[in-house]
Amino acid sequence: MTVKLDRRSFIKSAAATSAVATAASLFPGISFADWKKQTGSNGMITWKKAPCRFCGTGCGVLVGVSGDRAVAVKGDPKCSVNKGLCCVKGYHSVQALYGKDRLTRAQVRKNGKMVEVPVSEALDLIAAKMKETIKKHGKDSVAIYGSGQWTIPDGYVASKLFKGCIGTNNVEANARLCMASAVTGFLTSFGLDEPMGCYEDIENANVFVTWGNNMAEMHPVLFSRMLAARKRKKDVILIDFATRTTRTSQAADKSILFRPQTDLAVANAICHEIIRNNWVNWDFVNKHVSFHKGKTNIGYGLEDHFAFKDKAENMTFEEYKEFLREYTPEKVEKISGVPAKDIRYLASLYGDPKKKVTSFWCMGMNQHTRGTWINNLVYNIHLLVGKISTPGNSPFSLTGQPSACGTVREVGTLTHKLPHGVVMKEEARKMAAEIWDVPVSNIDPKPTYHTVEMFRALDRGDIRFMWIQVTNPMVTMPKLKRYRNGALKEDRFIVVSDVYPTPTTDVADVILPAAMWVEQEGMFGNSERRTQHFEQIVPPPGEAMSDTWQIIEVARRLGFEKQFPWGKDEYIGKIWEEYRRFHASPKHNMAPYEVLKKRSGVQWPFVNGRETRWRYNAKYDPAVSNGEEFHFYGKKDNRAWIWARPYEPAAESPDQEYNFWLNTGRVIEHWHTGSMTRRVPILHNAVPSSYVEINPEDAAELGVVNGEMVKIISRRGEIVMPASINGRGVPPRGMVFVPFFDEKYLINEVTLDAFCPISKQPDYKKCAVRLEKA
Amino acid sequence: MKKTDTLMGRLGLGIASLCLAGAMTAGFAVAAPGIPHDFDSKGEKIFNRYNETPLPAMTGTDGKRTLNTFYELRQYPGSPPRIPHKIPTSFSGEIFECISCHGRGGYVAELDAYAPVTPHPENEACFQCHVPRLTEKLFVENDWQSIEPPVIGRPQLGGSPPPIPHSLQLREDCIACHTGNGAVAEIRVEHGSRGNCRQCHVPMVATKPVKEFTRPSK
Ligand code: SF4
Repeated sequence: MTVKLDRRSFIKSAAATSAVATAASLFPGISFADWKKQTGSNGMITWKKAPCRFCGTGCGVLVGVSGDRAVAVKGDPKCSVNKGLCCVKGYHSVQALYGKDRLTRAQVRKNGKMVEVPVSEALDLIAAKMKETIKKHGKDSVAIYGSGQWTIPDGYVASKLFKGCIGTNNVEANARLCMASAVTGFLTSFGLDEPMGCYEDIENANVFVTWGNNMAEMHPVLFSRMLAARKRKKDVILIDFATRTTRTSQAADKSILFRPQTDLAVANAICHEIIRNNWVNWDFVNKHVSFHKGKTNIGYGLEDHFAFKDKAENMTFEEYKEFLREYTPEKVEKISGVPAKDIRYLASLYGDPKKKVTSFWCMGMNQHTRGTWINNLVYNIHLLVGKISTPGNSPFSLTGQPSACGTVREVGTLTHKLPHGVVMKEEARKMAAEIWDVPVSNIDPKPTYHTVEMFRALDRGDIRFMWIQVTNPMVTMPKLKRYRNGALKEDRFIVVSDVYPTPTTDVADVILPAAMWVEQEGMFGNSERRTQHFEQIVPPPGEAMSDTWQIIEVARRLGFEKQFPWGKDEYIGKIWEEYRRFHASPKHNMAPYEVLKKRSGVQWPFVNGRETRWRYNAKYDPAVSNGEEFHFYGKKDNRAWIWARPYEPAAESPDQEYNFWLNTGRVIEHWHTGSMTRRVPILHNAVPSSYVEINPEDAAELGVVNGEMVKIISRRGEIVMPASINGRGVPPRGMVFVPFFDEKYLINEVTLDAFCPISKQPDYKKCAVRLEKA
Repeated sequence: MKKTDTLMGRLGLGIASLCLAGAMTAGFAVAAPGIPHDFDSKGEKIFNRYNETPLPAMTGTDGKRTLNTFYELRQYPGSPPRIPHKIPTSFSGEIFECISCHGRGGYVAELDAYAPVTPHPENEACFQCHVPRLTEKLFVENDWQSIEPPVIGRPQLGGSPPPIPHSLQLREDCIACHTGNGAVAEIRVEHGSRGNCRQCHVPMVATKPVKEFTRPSK
């Protein structure tokens, strides 16, 4: 502001719209907001509770409403997850509702061009196309691909329509890409999915070990809870065990780096040391643990139609000890690069009977071609020393998405799953058929395709119709080019329900405008078994409707009125009460609708009006029935399983030609592919574009400085993007790291579609690339 | 200048009861070998300061320093402030002498004020940037102009955490300037106990144009 204002002209201009800005420049230091003012507002705000839209932490937020618009956010003090604190994404989440290019009308591809049509016409076309495709190519030629950001009702009606009514198991969700290894880890070790502990472990632990987990950015509110506990109690330490140095490493008491994939060897070496030093909790192990081994050399799933089935064999403790002989700290130091003394130190923390230890992990262990194994191996550590299912002693698998647990894991929106049990089991099919009011013969006992194979089937032509909701696979699929070309092939029909245009809507034949988050009623389920209800707080724009309602509309057009009878003002409550019947047992009981509406999240199992904080522990868990302190009732032998799982290398490791590891992930400011957070000004300004993190010494050798362009080349493809040196994180020499949020720099053109043969979850953290100065 | 000579010695007394511990520049994490400490805008400093500063030292209130007195010492937003108090003539401006007050802050009886805490104690030659004023007379008049200081606050929506309006260069340590008795009243936060500042506050530098997101053209 160069114009000098005298008092008179100031008063004059104060009446104009720029008054606030002017006053602000006259009185520096006084705070004047610079947002556009809502017209006709009476200045009052009503606060309504909701879970945050973004990460799996599941913070409670209060959305401030004025008129029919969301205008503010604060942390919900009644929510025990975050007790009134949020992170920068949560605080600005409501701004993601109001991006300029919000999808508000349905679009249909006509002669190659997308044209707006009334939403009813689009729904008619979808139903007609589904009928026609099923008639021509069979029921397994239509598929739905959903999301861990689906609400629970979204996922439930998708499963009911596709598995129960149409009779195909072509139901998958993007949580396959983020949580599948956590699920198979839980099932193989405990027989039941989801953590035994809860976030209160944070206030009770003395030692935290983050396994390949940058919590400071990915689960920020839990991280600051951890920092606050450390500051308050003084006897708390935080060990960061990772392949790259991050904000979490900066806050940690010790940062230990390991070579990609060698966490398998280190976990075994920790067990080796626990046994060698006789730190085993024998009382616990004798009563509650059994030992097992499975197949080895299990492959990487790189070829179409890859199939694998593990086979468990019992083993004795002595045989398990013999298996661990290979994993002395000295031998493992050679594989992992972790000094033997650091391995012994980690073992001593787990082994010290006076310390309560919580391990946290998320994508580092799950996006891993041996993801199931590394989950098993960390459980092994906790089981050997009996540090589990008690406050502060917790192997804690964090989830990434707000409802990966609620919608994908609990509702079972995966090809082999039903809301209770798996399609292969007759009782599970019978139960589903009864609750869904369909003939049991409708439900196919054979699973079809997991996510990667589903997109391969689309490419091959086995699948001809795919409906994609609340996710952006044309940014997130590994080895992207093949799957994008597949989706674009003649005679493929793609329906995309979303809130903004994305690279996925770019390949759509029909785009349905969706209600986002609090523009609809729904529920999410977070990392600690907490179900969180939100009401419709603001109206959706234009013709946008909830994903649940879109599916109901299509189901009715397909002739399933009987299974989808609910009215628009009651459907969420009715769906919840129907769904709840699947989980009616002390092992999984969910809270009634009325309770969910009142509280800021309720943990399951919810039994006789009480939430279960620590499962398998007689003090807290009403399902414990063996008269002992602990009861691992998920497995037939009533024990938790320790697995002998060896170290096996990654699907693709750096070699002479492709000499760098490529690692991918997120930053605190952006959620997944950025389709929402990039439309929030403060978040976009903080991190406006993606970059490739390079170790400063590697950068010097390559001759690039910060911001210069680098070409990243793999056997699949290449991409040119700016270098980041000593930026948000620093990879070790021989590794680069790229955040995947930016559609301008599609890093998944370069990644590999190898996956864990047990969980079928791809490994986004490891493939081989080389670099060139661009 | 007998009086100011003893300034250093007395400083510690005012803060003794707060039991401040730990060296300001000591690394907290045992970083992995080969990895520099100073990435992410030296974010490690925030965590170190957070751990070393007792909560009472973060929550105190003095209110003597205000944005007005803050900018009086500066030539433009972000310039190094001049030294507003007397210093001994023999004073070399070396880290040890400045840092005894400005390392951790605390009450200074002579000035009846709390010392502000430096956000960059690792830069040891204080006089390189900070100088005292020995005369108020100018050599010749000067037509200096600069921009308005950034307006503080500026949350993106009512009640949301305001962005960081300044560049983080040399001002990486949020807790140093934004908490405690020595903090400028208008920018002192009440919730220093939360530790991971950039969980909620991200830079949106006031002197840089706001970027708008547009999809890359196909
Ligand atoms: S930590 Fe996760 S759930 Fe909490 S406010 Fe941030 S993004 Fe939302």
